[in-house]
Formats: sequence, C-alpha cells, structure tokens
Amino acid sequence: MNLSLYQDKDTWLHNIDPRTKLVGVAIIFIICLCFNNPIYMAVVALCVFFIALSARAQKALWTLRYILLLLVIFSVLLWPFFTVGKTPLWSWRFLRLTKESLFYGIAMGIRLSTFVIAGLILLSTTKNEDITNGLIKMKIPYPLAFAFSTALRLVPTFVGAGATIVQAQVSRGLDLESRNIISRFGKFIPLAVPMFISAIRYTNLLSMALESRGFSPGSPRTLYYEPVMKRRDWLILSFMIIVLIACLYMRIFLNLGVVMSGRL
Amino acid sequence: MRYAIKMWSNTRMIVLVAVSAAIYAAALIAFKTAIPLIPGVTEVRVAGIFLMTFGILFGPAGAWGLAIGNLIGDIFGGTLGPASIAGFFGNFLLGYLPYTMWLNFFPFSEKSYEWNVKNPKSWSAYISITIISSCSCAVLIGLAVDILGIVPYEVVSRIIALNNIVGNLIGVVLLIAVYELTKNQLGLLWTDIMGIRQDGLSMRGIMGSWLVAIGSIAGMLAGFIPGLSVNLVSWSSVIFIVVGSLIL
Repeated sequence: MNLSLYQDKDTWLHNIDPRTKLVGVAIIFIICLCFNNPIYMAVVALCVFFIALSARAQKALWTLRYILLLLVIFSVLLWPFFTVGKTPLWSWRFLRLTKESLFYGIAMGIRLSTFVIAGLILLSTTKNEDITNGLIKMKIPYPLAFAFSTALRLVPTFVGAGATIVQAQVSRGLDLESRNIISRFGKFIPLAVPMFISAIRYTNLLSMALESRGFSPGSPRTLYYEPVMKRRDWLILSFMIIVLIACLYMRIFLNLGVVMSGRL
Repeated sequence: MRYAIKMWSNTRMIVLVAVSAAIYAAALIAFKTAIPLIPGVTEVRVAGIFLMTFGILFGPAGAWGLAIGNLIGDIFGGTLGPASIAGFFGNFLLGYLPYTMWLNFFPFSEKSYEWNVKNPKSWSAYISITIISSCSCAVLIGLAVDILGIVPYEVVSRIIALNNIVGNLIGVVLLIAVYELTKNQLGLLWTDIMGIRQDGLSMRGIMGSWLVAIGSIAGMLAGFIPGLSVNLVSWSSVIFIVVGSLIL
C-alpha cells in the first residue's frame, strides 16, 4: 500500500538537498506568520503556489483540493466572530462582525492553505528516507531519527492490516455507519484489538533482529546516502533568508501587512 | 522526565516507539474520514482509544510514539505545518502524563505502575488522568493554533479535549483486552523492559501533577472566568502544564 505523497519527477526542487527543503519550508511558515492582511497573504500564497507548480506538484494539490477549500471557508466563517475590530459591519445579539475581523478571517484562510501547500511541496518532492537523512544531518539524535524512519516504513503495513481487519468484520455484518457518534466510536474497539496485537508482535522480533546485528543507539553512524549541500542550496537558502528578513522588517518596523494588530 | 530521556539507550524501547508511532499513525490515517466533526479541520479521532493504553503499557516509549505518530499522520495526510510542532508536544503529553501521574496524582493515584481492573484505585487514576491529560493536550495545541491563526482557542481546545476524553474512556476496553497479553506473554510492560523498581509517592511528583491539573482545568475554563481574558488564562495554563510536566 502506497500512502506517500512523493512524486518521482525531475525538477529543481527534487534535486536540491533535503536540508534546504526542510529549512526552506520552515522559512515559508515564518514568512506566513509575518502578515495578517489578506492582500499580503495572497502574494505569499501565490509565490508558494508557483513554487508548487514548478515542482510539478499539481497532482498532490488536486488530491487535497476539497481540504484546502474547506480550510478557507471554515477560517473565513469562524475567525470574524472570535476577533474584534474597530469598523462595525453587522451585528445581531451577541454576534458582531467588523471589517478588520472579516479581513483577518480571509487572511487566516489563505495562511492555512499556504501552510498546507508548503508542506505538500516538501512531501511531494522529498522521499521519506531523504527527510530522515536530512534530519540526521541536522543533528537530530540518531535513535529518534531511527524510530521516525522505522515508523514511516511500518505505517503502510499497519494501514493495510487495519483495512483487511475492517473489511473482514464488515463482511461479517459489522455496521460502522449507523447509530450515534459514541456507539460508532465503540464499534472500532473490536477492530483495534487485533490490529494492536498483530502490530505489537513486531516489537520483540525487530528488537532481536537489531541487537543481533549489533545495533547500538548511542554509537556514531555513517550513512549509505550522504546528502551534500551544493552551491545552489546555499544560494536558495541565502535568498530565502533575505526575503524573511525583508518580511520581518516590513512587519516589525514599517507595520505593513497588518489588519489586526496584536495578533500574528 | 528522566525516563523519557533514559529510554533512548534501550533498543526495545526504541522499537516500541517506532511500533506505537506506526499503530497510532495508521489508525489516524485509516479513520481520518470516518466520522468528520468539522470537515477538513477535525474529526472524531478513533485513534484516541490508543492514548492511555500506550501511556500505561509503554510509558515513555508510548509518549514518544504518540508524538511521532501524530507527526506521521500529518505527513501522510498532507497537513504538515507549524501546527504539527504543537501536535507533537500535545500528543507527547497524552502519553507522558498517564505514566508519570499514575503514582503521583494523589489522592487519585495508584500504588504501583500496574493496571488492575478489579482495583478501584486503578480506575480512579485512569479516569482522573484521562481528563487531565486530554485537557493538557487541548490547552497546549489550542493556544498554538490560535496564535498561528488556524482555529480560535475557544473552539479547538474544547473539541480536542472532548475528543480525547471520549477516546480514552472507550479505550479502557482496549487496555483491559491487551494488558495481560502485553505484560505476561510479550513482556512489553515498560517497567519490565527498563528494569524500574516501583517508585514511591514523592512531594515533587505530587506538586508536578497538581500543577498540570490546575493548568489544564483552568485552560478549559478560559473565557468563563470573569475579569480574566482568554489569552491570559490560556498562557498561564500552558506555563503551569509545562512546568508541572518538567517537574514530574
């Protein structure tokens, strides 16, 4: 079962170092937090969208189109009623809508979608193993990175096993779609027990296999694939850091891109 | 906190982290669209039934497993973002508090690390810690997603808390079903793997537990305390929870 969002293509984003992509995505997240004006956020979102297109991540974006749309709608509907602005637009009993809070809601919808698209760029252009290698190279402790990569490898196996158990029980008459939420919740217990037991049996076998091969959590490691930072990686990172500094300057010193002061 | 660090030198605990992370992530992914609450934002988390079970059975490995599992759920679900960092720490608490508060949340606590279905003390510890750990996670994630502008604190904290409490309460059936097998047949109870003697009740532990408890309950009441802003209450609650967790 393939759950990964990775798409094997030959684009500039696929070929850069995973560390550049991890740091780059973190920078995009921080840039998104610099503004809460929908116009500024739309510019950031558009740039991120073009990066996604250049990485040929349209397929992954299309898969998540409903989630993206719902995130925007939800944010635009919800935020205006939990933030207070100065210019009233409409009110009814305890509900108040202001121009600033409406704009803030729109900006947050765009920000949330930009977060998802930026994350998607990373996931659709980087293999899971490369993410792990990048994390190790960024000095994440090896045992943690090992647990992370092992879990990534086991997830499709367990999802497959879970799906088989669900299908087997449904074919025996288990109804997972009727009655109230609590009782539907409870119906998953008979499915969780065999899933848990079949999965947990891996632990002893895997531990023995690792120990018999001399696995030692604290020892220094070498990697078969050693990611190397090239000149273009440093150029990309330098450019992104300059953009980040410019955005921070605009927000902190010029107070640009803000409709709701006091909030990120 | 010492066991959460010390466990990384034990191979079986590291493997348990990976396996519990994979189980949790698999359940998150498989049932992501089963019962949506707010489509695209949150759903009834069927995976919630594993939270206390992992914490009690696997201790620190369960805590790290839940944290990593939630992150992997975000990766495979395509929702990786800055909120995933808050999700990591929030889910860590869901596994961390059950085993650290189990002996220390006086007067609701148990006297040994073991779960005994016939002992009312086990039940009082289970139920009280379920409420506290669920609320702690909700306060931490709620504040982070509010700051990030994803969902308002007042909405998301209550949804997460309720979701986790319901999952944990139903999950007791899972714990009862798998406890004996995991402990006696597979030998995977965390205290047995790490060779930990039964720690006694300590003042430090009690203080940590109550700091977390006060923080999480106050965080849930944010917005209902007259004269105190939601921001002030949520920030103070997070400080209480973090300090209490570090002391534990």
